[in-house]
Amino acid sequence: MLRTALSYGLLLGLAGFLMAPFVWMVFVSLHPSRQPIPTLENIIPQDPQWQNYKTVLFDLNLPVDRFFLNSLFVTFSVVILQLLITSMAAYAFARLRFRGKKPLFAVFLGSMMFAGPVTQIPVYLLLRSFAWLDTYYALIVPGISSAFSIFLLRQFFSQIPYDLDEAARIDGASHFNIYSRIIMPLSKPALATAAAFTFFGVWTDFFGPLIYTNSTDMRTLEVGLSIFKNSYGGSNWPLQMTAAVIVLLPLLLAFLFAQRYFVKGILLGGVK
Amino acid sequence: MRFALLAALALLVGCGRDNDSDIIVLRVANWSGAGDDSEFERTIQDIYEEFERRHPGVDIRVEGIPDGYVSKVILSFVAGTEPDVMLLDASSAAVFIDNGVLADLMPFIENDTAFALGDFFENVVDIARRGNALFAIPNDFTPMVMYYNKRLFDKADVPYPKPGWTFQDFRATARALTIPGEQYGFSFANWMPGWIMWLWNNDGDVIDSSFPRASGILDSAENVSALEFLHDVIKVDKSAPSLGEVASMGVDLFANGQAAMTVSGHWALIGYTNAPKGSDGKPAITWDDLGVIEMPSQTGSSVTVMYESGYAIGKNSKNKELAWEFIKYFTSYEVQSKYNKSGIAVCARKDVAQERASDPLEAMFLPIIPSARPPHGASVEGYEIVEKVGKNALDSILNNDIPVRVALEKAAKRIDQEFAKR
Amino acid sequence: MHRGEEQRQGWLFVSPAVIHLAVFALIPIGYALYLSLFKWQLLRESQEFIGLQNYAMSLAESPFWNAMWNSGRYAIVSVPAGMIVALAVAILVNQKLRGITVFRTLFYIPAIASGVAISMLWIYVYLPETGMINTILGSFGVQSIDFLNRAEWAMWALVFMSIWTGLGPRMVLFLAGLLSIPQPLYEAAELDGASRWRCFVSITLPMLAPTTLFVLITSTISALQIFTPVYMMTKGQPEDTTDVIGYHIYSEAWVNFNIGLASAKSFLLLIVIAAISLLQFRLMKKPMEDFSTG
Repeated sequence: MLRTALSYGLLLGLAGFLMAPFVWMVFVSLHPSRQPIPTLENIIPQDPQWQNYKTVLFDLNLPVDRFFLNSLFVTFSVVILQLLITSMAAYAFARLRFRGKKPLFAVFLGSMMFAGPVTQIPVYLLLRSFAWLDTYYALIVPGISSAFSIFLLRQFFSQIPYDLDEAARIDGASHFNIYSRIIMPLSKPALATAAAFTFFGVWTDFFGPLIYTNSTDMRTLEVGLSIFKNSYGGSNWPLQMTAAVIVLLPLLLAFLFAQRYFVKGILLGGVK
Repeated sequence: MRFALLAALALLVGCGRDNDSDIIVLRVANWSGAGDDSEFERTIQDIYEEFERRHPGVDIRVEGIPDGYVSKVILSFVAGTEPDVMLLDASSAAVFIDNGVLADLMPFIENDTAFALGDFFENVVDIARRGNALFAIPNDFTPMVMYYNKRLFDKADVPYPKPGWTFQDFRATARALTIPGEQYGFSFANWMPGWIMWLWNNDGDVIDSSFPRASGILDSAENVSALEFLHDVIKVDKSAPSLGEVASMGVDLFANGQAAMTVSGHWALIGYTNAPKGSDGKPAITWDDLGVIEMPSQTGSSVTVMYESGYAIGKNSKNKELAWEFIKYFTSYEVQSKYNKSGIAVCARKDVAQERASDPLEAMFLPIIPSARPPHGASVEGYEIVEKVGKNALDSILNNDIPVRVALEKAAKRIDQEFAKR
Repeated sequence: MHRGEEQRQGWLFVSPAVIHLAVFALIPIGYALYLSLFKWQLLRESQEFIGLQNYAMSLAESPFWNAMWNSGRYAIVSVPAGMIVALAVAILVNQKLRGITVFRTLFYIPAIASGVAISMLWIYVYLPETGMINTILGSFGVQSIDFLNRAEWAMWALVFMSIWTGLGPRMVLFLAGLLSIPQPLYEAAELDGASRWRCFVSITLPMLAPTTLFVLITSTISALQIFTPVYMMTKGQPEDTTDVIGYHIYSEAWVNFNIGLASAKSFLLLIVIAAISLLQFRLMKKPMEDFSTG
């Protein structure tokens, strides 16, 4: 009994600690624009300024709707292409025997170690030589394969019973048929997990879009939001927080929708 | 899954890059931010829209880069996706001009009878001149000045500052106007372009511009005493809020009527006309409250810095003619008189500047202009490094109690190190 | 015949991923190595071959070592602290309580949020006087601290935030590890009269070794590459105390445009990351094997 009460106390305290900044953020976003920072006693807005949301979305110099469409388009494109490419590779690693498989897999795993900081300069120059900088290609193509997704899907694929493809092969099915007709339909949960991870990873990617694009029209929501922070020189917190809420809200909804896949995916990929 | 695929395809069709050949997009880069839906922003928007009306099929697309403007525009040139027109800041003009990424505008000027370079102040034009070539048409400029709030001076019965005032006069004035817990005599910002004049007015400087070098210059005895002076005003007299206090307020204290003096450029007037309303419902500050005075000086003749912006065209722009039309339009009498009414700056056109001089507040800027010199960045490539390191040095002094001499010596060494790498 | 076909099919299936890996990871690493041998200012055409001088220059300059040191202390504190907190929370949510899944979901949320939005939010949280933390501390009579602008605080402010943002995934990983421990082990220990603490030390911890290794390596790698919060919140300041290596290389390349030098520095970082991962793997492998064979 005491233990249960103690546990709930800890859980609630922790939840309070984790959620407090978000609550604070929503409160500040509803204060009048251009006003001094509210003190604790006044943190709950007396006269909520819902028009701050309209202002940020429609009245400012930044095309927030365009940022949103860019993020949506880039993220969906990467998720779909990545699922295709990584599931094919995972299929081969899980269910086919070919020479060099083991070392190749090790190379993929090793490549997880040095993304970003190490390859940023050459990838930038590469994209430049393709004339892809500041286009959707630069935002999409570098992300269409991921060692992490391959690893995750391989774990799942190798747990599917082999007699299924044995039977199919006796019926003369090709590997492509087995992959597309048997393995993929059976792996929907794993694919959803990989998609969920990729979705959040791409949607909140900051570094790539920051250096691979430069026109306002090509910015994603994440980089677009960073412009807000630098627009007011440490003032106008209500509008800054409004912009942050606008960016966080769709992510939160997507997370609530996809959250069970996160747990599943981590169980699959992490511990084995 | 199938739905997602369809959605992605729909988006692919829906928002690919504009291939519509009927529309010419003219990209214009400046350092505007997200904005806060002010009068000034609406004026600018009207100016753009009027241009679009006069040039059917043209779409002006503004690239606002409020943070890291120089490096981000350079990067767009490297990427080959640079804007057609860029606002060239005198503080960083050299890096663009001297790396040959801008178009020489002289041919346009010579072939265009509707444009006369003589309409502009010559010393302002000269900032972007290299030999016979000219790389930008000046848009506006401003000297950095000391603003003061007459209402607060009157209330405290302190006489207004007079030309020829010294650091000591300033310090005494700031102290007299400080009411602990309520009002500051002075409000101070840490960015270097806003305080380099204090060094100049103590007979110091930051670099030797002929051979970029900071050691022995930035860490000179004059600079040490100038920054110690500022440190004392803020930390000893507490006549100005600490940087942390400024951040914790989240507003411009001067615009909010809570500081009696501040240093800024002409653009600050936009904020002052837009000042937050006090508890009595009246704006915290109005134009009638404002006074403008030269920077205090220890040398006997006050100097200040002149910031300027001009419009330039990218060398590889595909829309050079249109870009020139835009520049001509934006620097015309018609647009400039509308644009400068907002209070953004002093117009670089003589006609508009003279017209506006009838405004008493505007007139207070005029005597200061002759003592204003362009920033080092107009001639020294890579000057952003100096401004960045300089700001960090001042932060060390004000936030982290590093002795002034130590901070400046470290900064000078760092600047030299960075210049050596280039 | 059949084997040859499978061979061909295998490579066919992996080929898109392999091509991608080659173009966006392997070739770039080689290219970075090549670039690191030149003095090249991005805006200028000229690339001057200078051999290993960029490496010598990196190793001789104090800002580089300062950045390495900052990343090092960030990782050394934030990774273990984050892991201990995450393990404690995992144990807390590994109880059969009503509504526990709601808490698990709530605790995950900071991890999915956008790094930029979170950084903006935390600038506000850390503001002097009026920020959330100072308001709370202030009500206990503690004097306001300008966390992000004081040299002795800024790094720890970032570390504290990272525990907050990194909790979710680590918690779920530990939770998965806890759930996979066979229950009979505990029952047997209880029969022997072992205390809870004893059970934790001699059953839970060793059984969690593989999970711990995985969390340790991935957390360390990402801690060494932290960028967004620094870019948004401190720009490497105050006093260069938060100038971590990820931000340092970014500024060298994309603000100062010293491409050759930045390439050399990123290559040095690669070596460090690879060495640390390998070391962690070696150190952890032994106890893991001991346990599984013992």
